[in-house]
Amino acid sequence: MQIIKKAAAAGVLALAFGSPALAQDAIAIGVQVPTTGSEATYGQDMANAIAIAQGEINANGGVLGQQLSMVVGDSACDPQQSVNAASKLVSLNVVGVVGGYCSGATLPTLKIYGDANVPFVIAAANSTQLIPANPGNAFMINSTGDQQATRAVEFLSSKGATTLAIVNQGDAYSQDLANLTRDAWTEAGHTVAAFETANKGEQDFSAIVTAIRGANPDAVFWTAYFADGGLLIRQLRQGGYQGIIAVGDGSNSPNLFDIAGRAAEGVFAFSNPTADFLPAAQDFAETYTQQYNAAPGPYAPLAYDGMRLLAWAIEKAGSTDADAIIEALATADGEEWLAGPISFTEQNTLARSNFIVLEGKDGAWTRAD
Amino acid sequence: MNLSDIVAQQLVNGLVLGSFYALVALGYTMIFGVIKLLNFAHGDLYMVGGFVGFLALSAISGVVGGDWPGVFIAMLFAMIAVGCLGVVIERVAYHPMLAAPRLSILITALAVSLVLQNAVLGLTGGQYQAFRADLGFGGFDIGSLFIQHNQMVLVGTAALLMVALQLFVTRTQFGRAMRAVSIDKDMCQLMGINVPVVIAVTFFIGSALAAAAGTMAGAYYGSIWYFMGFLIGLKAFTAAVIGGIGSIPGAMLGGLVLGLLEAFGTQIPGIGSEWKDVFSFAVLILVLVLKPTGLLGKPEQERM
Repeated sequence: MQIIKKAAAAGVLALAFGSPALAQDAIAIGVQVPTTGSEATYGQDMANAIAIAQGEINANGGVLGQQLSMVVGDSACDPQQSVNAASKLVSLNVVGVVGGYCSGATLPTLKIYGDANVPFVIAAANSTQLIPANPGNAFMINSTGDQQATRAVEFLSSKGATTLAIVNQGDAYSQDLANLTRDAWTEAGHTVAAFETANKGEQDFSAIVTAIRGANPDAVFWTAYFADGGLLIRQLRQGGYQGIIAVGDGSNSPNLFDIAGRAAEGVFAFSNPTADFLPAAQDFAETYTQQYNAAPGPYAPLAYDGMRLLAWAIEKAGSTDADAIIEALATADGEEWLAGPISFTEQNTLARSNFIVLEGKDGAWTRAD
Repeated sequence: MNLSDIVAQQLVNGLVLGSFYALVALGYTMIFGVIKLLNFAHGDLYMVGGFVGFLALSAISGVVGGDWPGVFIAMLFAMIAVGCLGVVIERVAYHPMLAAPRLSILITALAVSLVLQNAVLGLTGGQYQAFRADLGFGGFDIGSLFIQHNQMVLVGTAALLMVALQLFVTRTQFGRAMRAVSIDKDMCQLMGINVPVVIAVTFFIGSALAAAAGTMAGAYYGSIWYFMGFLIGLKAFTAAVIGGIGSIPGAMLGGLVLGLLEAFGTQIPGIGSEWKDVFSFAVLILVLVLKPTGLLGKPEQERM
């Protein structure tokens, strides 16, 4: 609720100070993020960032002379809920959609937006399973899972690891990353010592921890989200595991330290560039902190970019016609955004990878590469 | 770690997990005993217990610290609060339905579960809450087997609660009344036993045990959220059925058996950890086929 209020407040502010476009209809943009459930932190963070972009665009005269309005659909990181959210956004005749956090929940919405021919800028979800399911109207502005797996293998090898245990949670995103990492790790000539799947919602990982200690790998790689990742890291260290622990970009959250506590010290995280590590994002980070009294989370810059990219594409298309907007997105030509230049491959994925490595130090992430 | 160490370690893991299952399963089985209701809201009382324990610990940790003494005080508080909540739920939601068909009251229980979950969802915004207990990582090394102090305290506390419950049920006047009500409610009424009070006390004890498990789980695992009761509710129900629903020692045994099955299910060669639940539930089906009353359940006698 809070976000919706804040977003509404931002919208009202923008309208009050905005251009004479008050009387005209607003261009409605759908925002599909989880605002409840285990991933609500990320979802709220993305919605906040999108609201900032919306406010700035409106303050600068909007798009095509019209103001942008924002409709939030709660995907709850759940495939069924996200389908409901997507249907709701489509029925409200949004011009485009920004968001998409959990890959598992984003996957079934691709068909809905595809059938309705709604341009969809996927800001965070990055499973490679999304690529073949994309009807052509969706654009992924986060590096895909295989680019992360390559980076993970490179980095862990450079730390001297030759045996690896991979733990996923059986959903599209984490299983995908786990499989890709397993393949890349074997290809690099190393051994996968254990490949485990944890149940989502289960708090006890002790059996898996013991299985991992039995296999005694140099490193453990958790490919799912922070809330359960925090539990696993804590139980690995409590259970006496002393090797390297690394986590995927789904676990790159400050909240990981709340749950894992001291155990998160020295844990490595792979991450798309967060605002702290982006020179271009300093102004954005300041605005965000002022408005929401918290630092922008890992997907805030991408969500912000996603909204601006969509607005840019509508402006470039010169109309709210879906085909024209999709064409404009497809021909994006390396324009600079907060997280770097955006241009798309033929599969509508980001042409250039943007993963970095972070390390947990004194309860916060620091750059490790 | 060699094989025997792994087996021993999984035994420890199974005991810890089984203690949680057993504590929650006890409530299922006791409530089924007195009013023949599968209280599907029971897992959510575990969740509410986690949150009440968290609030209590946050309030007192400045004075007593976040280690076990603080957690125990918070746990006692959660047990009393959630015990009362259990009684209120029984009076408000179940009591008016006791004369209704069994299915109606079962659906009421599902509704209570949703009400509790969504109330906590609304209050917490659906976020994971870090449980700021400070329990330390210490433990004993026996070869490469590692037993945490926390695990010993957990299993010890659960065992103590279960022994206390067993003594209460078998050695006190009230426990006898409870057992009598579970056999024949109407006859008890005729014999001058205050049946509504017995039912209320049963709900209080069952809910309090779930709250104890919820607080300890929060402190031990380090986080709580509104949906944490769902899976454990399901597992505890399974444990109660394996042990024989309605039987108190059965719930304890069922909890431990399920905990051990899950721990060893992870370790079966050639079968990954994603199959461990399939393994546990296959055993449940086997038990139901071979001994439908569960391990320690007694067959119901039909009298002419």
